[in-house]
Amino acid sequence: MATELDVTDAAEMARQSAVRAKPRKLQFSPLVLLLCVILAILIIPPTFFLVDVSFHTTRPDGSMGDFTLGYYKALFTGRFFLPALINTAIYAVGSAVVALALGVTQAVLVERTNTPGRQYVVLGSIIALGIPNILHVVAWLLILGRSGPVNAALQHAFGSAVGINVYSMWGMIVIEGVNFVPLTFLLMSSVLRATDASFEEASMMSGARPLTTFRSITLRMGLPGILALLLLVFIRAFESFEVPALVGLAGNINVLTTNVYQSSRGSVTPSYGDAGAYSICLLIIIVALLYLYGRLSRNAHKFQTITGKGYRPRVINLGGMKWGASVALLVMFMLVTGLPLLILVFTSLQPFYDGVTPDAFGRFSFDNYREVLGPGSFRDAIANTLILGAATATLVVPFTALCAWLAARRRPGAWLLDQLASLPLVFPAIVMSVAFLYVFVNLPVPLYGTLLSVIIASTVRYMPYGMRYAYAGVLQIHNELEDASMSAGARRSSTFLRIVMPLLATPMISSWLLIFLLAVQTVSLPLMLVGPGTEIVAVSLFDLWQNGQVTELASMGIAWVCLMTVVSTTFYYVTRRYQLTI
Amino acid sequence: MQRTDLIGRIGILALAVSLILPSVARAQNAADIINYKGPDRQKRLEEGAKKEGQVVLYSAMIVNQAQRPIAAAFMKKYPFIKMTFWRGDSEDIAAKLAAEVRANNVVADVVEGTGVGELIVQAKEAQPFYSPDLEGVAEKYRDPAGLWAPTRLSYYSIAYNTKLVPPNDVPKTYEDLLDTKWKGKLAWRIGSSSGTDLFLSNLRLAWGEEKARAYFEKLAKQKIINFGSGSARTLVDRVVAGEYPIALNIFAHHPLISAAKGAPVNSQLMNPVATTAATMIIPKSLRHPHAAMLLIDFILSKEGQQILAQANYFPVRSDVPPNPKVAKVVPEKNGYKENFVGPDKLNSYTVSSEKIYQDLFR
Repeated sequence: MATELDVTDAAEMARQSAVRAKPRKLQFSPLVLLLCVILAILIIPPTFFLVDVSFHTTRPDGSMGDFTLGYYKALFTGRFFLPALINTAIYAVGSAVVALALGVTQAVLVERTNTPGRQYVVLGSIIALGIPNILHVVAWLLILGRSGPVNAALQHAFGSAVGINVYSMWGMIVIEGVNFVPLTFLLMSSVLRATDASFEEASMMSGARPLTTFRSITLRMGLPGILALLLLVFIRAFESFEVPALVGLAGNINVLTTNVYQSSRGSVTPSYGDAGAYSICLLIIIVALLYLYGRLSRNAHKFQTITGKGYRPRVINLGGMKWGASVALLVMFMLVTGLPLLILVFTSLQPFYDGVTPDAFGRFSFDNYREVLGPGSFRDAIANTLILGAATATLVVPFTALCAWLAARRRPGAWLLDQLASLPLVFPAIVMSVAFLYVFVNLPVPLYGTLLSVIIASTVRYMPYGMRYAYAGVLQIHNELEDASMSAGARRSSTFLRIVMPLLATPMISSWLLIFLLAVQTVSLPLMLVGPGTEIVAVSLFDLWQNGQVTELASMGIAWVCLMTVVSTTFYYVTRRYQLTI
Repeated sequence: MQRTDLIGRIGILALAVSLILPSVARAQNAADIINYKGPDRQKRLEEGAKKEGQVVLYSAMIVNQAQRPIAAAFMKKYPFIKMTFWRGDSEDIAAKLAAEVRANNVVADVVEGTGVGELIVQAKEAQPFYSPDLEGVAEKYRDPAGLWAPTRLSYYSIAYNTKLVPPNDVPKTYEDLLDTKWKGKLAWRIGSSSGTDLFLSNLRLAWGEEKARAYFEKLAKQKIINFGSGSARTLVDRVVAGEYPIALNIFAHHPLISAAKGAPVNSQLMNPVATTAATMIIPKSLRHPHAAMLLIDFILSKEGQQILAQANYFPVRSDVPPNPKVAKVVPEKNGYKENFVGPDKLNSYTVSSEKIYQDLFR
């Protein structure tokens, strides 16, 4: 790292000055106030809309009717509430465990060992993130469904009575959990890379075995990252809809989201009351969770491993075990990226999908690709879509880095930044789209229907992800580096730009890529906000999802993944050129 | 914060004043334009449309197969009008239009979809219009109040997997679905007014409440699989894949399109066949009334209907034949009774049918 030398010098000065001066304390931070106002302007209108719809009936013309507590009552008193709550808890814990177990293992093997092939895991994860969420679920249902290759193989081996039923709780947990592995891996590996390996070396030299070292040093040091992830995965599971609807409902397993979805069908007028009430409850939960998470940062010094000493993550030699670790990485790669892609490629080459049978191999054709990629389809929309993704990520990443830094350093009032920036996490996509629709259509400036309006909404939607990445990153940077810079006469702004930002580069780059990949594949937000004539790829995806055959959907998905892989690998190599790694 | 509020308010006030005054005059004008029946109607519309220069369609039709070809053909016919379109679900369209109307910032000139037209009529956001091309449409598909015009028809049937359901076993009547051998093998699509709700409403309308209820209670014992998310098309793909032997209330032509490629699937109509129409409406305070009327005429014309037929939609005009690939499921041409569930009934029955679903099938 280029700044390492300056940093060490600065740190030396800091140590000297620390004796003389107490750490500076700001009584009032105008910067925090300004950021709060920006966030409030962005986030309060949709939040207000959410509160409003949850307490009022909706009239046919979309205006608010009478005050009601009915949506909250329906939420808690329905006969399906309790089983749904229990199911949701199992589902959330289960998928968090799957995602963390696989993601953290991957991250440790990649960052801390000499496992052969480890350098490809990043690429595999990035490709997996490029698969739109709905397609990911569809792919797993094709693999594990009644007519899928897994059941076919089981029946071939053990007779027709044997088979697995993916429309079950374990099916939901596996699919959602695996879906989250790339995200956990990327966040964990950026945390681990920033963690000083000398602690681990000390542990090993004191005679601790690798597993003990992993448990009592590596995991503990990475605690901020792990907790940030738990928070994300857990909340996501509470509000996830695709997996519960596609996998759970068909097996008659209701979770809270599908429960709300089913209850809200009682009227023909679009009404967001039930969804609104549910999100308000989630909002309260997330505020409580963030409060607890914030308490953790009071003890942040425990995790600050990027100090003035200079650090270099070092690699543990696994010896003969390294090939076993390679196999483990390969298995995880297949689960996360390989198998879903293989089944999608297979399906995309079929005129129709009725299982992976010998007959099917004789039916390969490129007709679906001709259909989907023909003139006038998503080709026109690619530019807009890439602009949307890049602009969203570019706005979110530095903004959240600044907010996270201020919050983690406990500037007065900065806790509010974290809370505000995290709220959009619980907004159901459709409610948020409608809320922003109302905001933009009423603005005196002609933003309504423009790509810019989609970018603004999308920035708000992905703010929480950027926030969690940045926060976990900042917690690991020791104050002494910043104190050193300030004592050396640097202003707070240049301290942030020249000390904090470079040290945060790794999590920020992962965060940028993640937000880019998520933003380009969201469907409902751009769908509601773009005007006629502005084309976005998400709309083509939506069209295929609504009316297309699964084979066409798969071919569109594969084309999409190819494009995203090109974009991501370019990004990956460009950042490597500048000696930054994801 | 307060300051931004104040600026915002002044802005909105200024905008409101500048919009309300002309829009009163505009509304009066628009009503005259879209209801004009004189002999020089076409000439007047074209002259007006030349000044307007554009038209915006909000529709639930598939972009590549329907909206894009319609726009291309329309702009070829009227090169002086630039047509743009926006595609969404019925609910999305209704929400978007409601927001536009309330903000007095209406972008759409013509709105099309199944169920959405009625929502807009109920919200009192639609206005009556006249198109001579409605003459070509059968009386039963027209609105006596003139608030909407039909664009395309949908017929609903069951889909079955031909490998899992032998020809002799295929259920041919609703009673056949009650056979115990289908227990746990039927799936239907919940969460959409054209799924479970339409299945129930169709039989309630055709049989009366009592007979229908008795039937539903027996049907509930079949433990129908509630297919949660995804479209009717997705459900048919699941039948093709062999996940479910039979799906209820899907679009009758979807299995035919797959079967033509060799997929093991077919559709079977049942008496009475649920039939719905997608409709077009004109929102209040639209910006391009002349061009909007030309577009409505065009979609209702033979040429427009032929484009829709090519996209496998069923035309509303009696003089435009359906696409031969899917003609097999047009009920009246194949000896089945059609039960047209009009937009008003589709919406008014949805709430009570949803309740039946919640009570018996959830």
